[in-house]
Amino acid sequence: MSLVTTRPGTGAARPYAFPAIRRVSAHGGTVVAAHLPGQLLANAVLLLDAGAARETDGREGTATVLAKSLEEGTRKRDSAAYALALEGLGAELVPSVDWDNFRVGVSAPVPLLIDAVRLAAEATRTPKLDPADVARVRDDEVTALRMDWAQPGPRADAALRADLFGADGRYNRPLHGDPTSVAAVTVADVLAFHEAWLRRPGVLLVAGDLDALDLGALAEAAFEGTAGEPLEPAGPLGVTLPPARRTILVDRPDSVQSTLRLGHRAPERATPDYVPMTLAATVLGGAFTSRLNHLIREVKGYTYGIRGSYAMTRRSGRFEVAAGVQTAVTAPAIRDTLGEIARTQAEGVTEAELEVARSWRAGQLSVEMQTPGAIAGALSTLVVHGLPDDYYETLRRDYLEATVEDVSRAAAEHLAVEKLTVVVEGDGAVIRDELAEFGELTEAAL
Amino acid sequence: MIARVTSPTAPVAATGYPWPIETTQLPNGLRVVVSEDRTAPVVCVNLWYDVGSRHEPPGQTGFAHLFEHLMFEGSQHVKKTEHMKLVQGNGGSLNATTNPDRTNYFETMPSEHLELALWLEADRMGGLVPALTQETLDNQREVVKNERRQRYENVPYGDAWLRLLPLLYPEGHPYHHATIGSMEDLNAAALETFQAFHRQYYAPNNAVLTVVGDTTPAEVFQLAEKYFGAIATVPDIPPAPDGTLPGPRGEAVRETVTAKVPAARIYLSHRTYPFGTAGYDAVTVLATILGNGRGSRLYQRLADGSRIAQPDYIGSYGVDLAHAPAPLIITATAKDGVPVEALEAGLAEVVQSLIDEPVTDEELNRAKALLTTAWWRGVSTVGGRADLLGRYATQFGDPATAADRLPKWLAVTADDVTEAAKHVLRPESRVTLTYVPGEPS
Repeated sequence: MSLVTTRPGTGAARPYAFPAIRRVSAHGGTVVAAHLPGQLLANAVLLLDAGAARETDGREGTATVLAKSLEEGTRKRDSAAYALALEGLGAELVPSVDWDNFRVGVSAPVPLLIDAVRLAAEATRTPKLDPADVARVRDDEVTALRMDWAQPGPRADAALRADLFGADGRYNRPLHGDPTSVAAVTVADVLAFHEAWLRRPGVLLVAGDLDALDLGALAEAAFEGTAGEPLEPAGPLGVTLPPARRTILVDRPDSVQSTLRLGHRAPERATPDYVPMTLAATVLGGAFTSRLNHLIREVKGYTYGIRGSYAMTRRSGRFEVAAGVQTAVTAPAIRDTLGEIARTQAEGVTEAELEVARSWRAGQLSVEMQTPGAIAGALSTLVVHGLPDDYYETLRRDYLEATVEDVSRAAAEHLAVEKLTVVVEGDGAVIRDELAEFGELTEAAL
Repeated sequence: MIARVTSPTAPVAATGYPWPIETTQLPNGLRVVVSEDRTAPVVCVNLWYDVGSRHEPPGQTGFAHLFEHLMFEGSQHVKKTEHMKLVQGNGGSLNATTNPDRTNYFETMPSEHLELALWLEADRMGGLVPALTQETLDNQREVVKNERRQRYENVPYGDAWLRLLPLLYPEGHPYHHATIGSMEDLNAAALETFQAFHRQYYAPNNAVLTVVGDTTPAEVFQLAEKYFGAIATVPDIPPAPDGTLPGPRGEAVRETVTAKVPAARIYLSHRTYPFGTAGYDAVTVLATILGNGRGSRLYQRLADGSRIAQPDYIGSYGVDLAHAPAPLIITATAKDGVPVEALEAGLAEVVQSLIDEPVTDEELNRAKALLTTAWWRGVSTVGGRADLLGRYATQFGDPATAADRLPKWLAVTADDVTEAAKHVLRPESRVTLTYVPGEPS
């Protein structure tokens, strides 16, 4: 007997379907719920139009300080009592801030979700926000950011963002601010942000077994006592590119790896090219067998991993390649990376590569959307970007039907190897001299 | 209307695994576990090989993990790069991990590709050696060295685990060295060693194949026979060195590291009980009471109360190792201006409180509620379930015993926690690893 030598064929595929979506409205807010029969846990996310983009210049990080202050007690109970009430349900509050939204998430066993949502709403709508607590949380956040910035990556990210979005106000500083901007946040800033944006109803996303969840009660819990109209979204920032490629060194003495961040601006999420752009980036740097990972990791052994992707929000977009490479091969790794980006831009993709990319992206819609948390995340994409309920079925079809011509055109149009900003965070004493070949070299003081 | 929140009560669960489990064993010794769930059109294929870094002899640290990388580089009928391409190119997610106890490989696929996944796994179980080349070894050695740099060397405190293990486990103990291995040993790795490694350990009788999701036991059993049935049994696989230890250390030990770190940090660690024992269940609940969540004693007393520890970097957890008393790790990072001695004294006091102050019902129920949610989150994917069943089949001989873990956690009493604390948390058995900011000497 021996191993089976021929690769088996494909069995019969079951049709793809996103969970059924139901809606309930109350007090100006809407519950958007996905039915996951049999799931023992349920997830709920209060989604508020209060992202980092609403922060004041120079006070970047205000929303993050607010997010971390929500659990410092409410008008009804102090922080210790709040923690015990919530954690006694097996739930934890997950407040987060992105460019477009402020989210407060909880997950809990299905019968306890209503209580968890009541507590999440209590913290979101009526936090105590005692000035001494807020000031302490702000100081702790400055320390936490300094801890984070001691890791490789955050300073390189900040340098890239500052260069790409230099003229775009809030977007030119990190999502959660930096140690300087957070230190400048005042208690009044935090209170004002809460008053202006967190008392509006917003949307409650729910993913769970809807046969056992009372959406009307969840709507009451989330929206009772709120006020305010939905906000008009601001327009896109547009795609501005520099005249030529440039290089920024972020010094990290004695670093055994160089952290690479190469990027340029790209369209926002609403672009009609979303699917071909995603597939082009998958071929270039998304899949394990992508051009970048194959060459830089599997052939050259320069890195543990390298990724290229488009990141898009409601108003902004950017293309980015990210990797950590051994210090000694910094320049060769950048050279090879630029080579693969240039090749993809100029020559597009092949059918064999695209076949992997399309099937992977389409398959991931079922493989990676099994949990209530993942489904709640998928619902948020629908709500934030105004997409229809059958969007994921359409998206899957669009992935599978994308042609080499579509994707190659998107690569040509939305990659710009000569306009990249190349950020290298590493040991300047060792790598500085070899970076000039990649474009005018400056050093970031971060 | 005032929203009413029901008062928390201790959760109950009769089983932690309310899905069917069926098992069989092929004549060559491969154990096959199937758990059908038709909810989503996805299926996970998972293999646990009962080989980890605990099997590595001196001079070969890091070999089990480096070998895991080689398993993705082609086999007898799968060309180099084809494995990843076939899994991702058919919509799947895949990975593998190595730890001291074992090595696991897994892919979650749209269910129409179940047979492909089984074929790929069988080909690298039965046909890796003919495809293994020096070029592949040299390349993956560099990748793994970069993994070591990225995860352990280039990040503040990144080598804490590498430093704790030799303090926790004596020279020659299978857990003494870290799975990532040393640069010296990785550099010395020879092709023949890896060929021999595969022949020795990657045997059907040293593995458990688990399939969870959109399929039936009958289909999986038939396909397992078709693809894995021809792979020969390996007789007399040598066990890892014996890890038996008398529980906690006999004397305290400390190490202080001056490094480029942004703040002083302390790791306290104790050897406890092996994963899977009643003692370790008590330690799991204890670790949750002590350091999981804002309601934990560490957070309430050091981050909130005395405010000497940074709130984002405080906690405690057990490392679930099954072949020797497993470590409990307790960590805190000093706030600006707090002397590291004050932080250590504060930590020691909170740890001691688990011995001196009875655990309240509120604390116990909070911990059990959090563990319950964590458990259900862990089994909310077919991938999470497959790995769980593979673990229990490999380590305890019966995948169905996975269902008992959650009920056993929920049966832990306040007295059990205190007894466990008295046994494992004594200062005389403590490992203390401290990082202080400064130029490395």
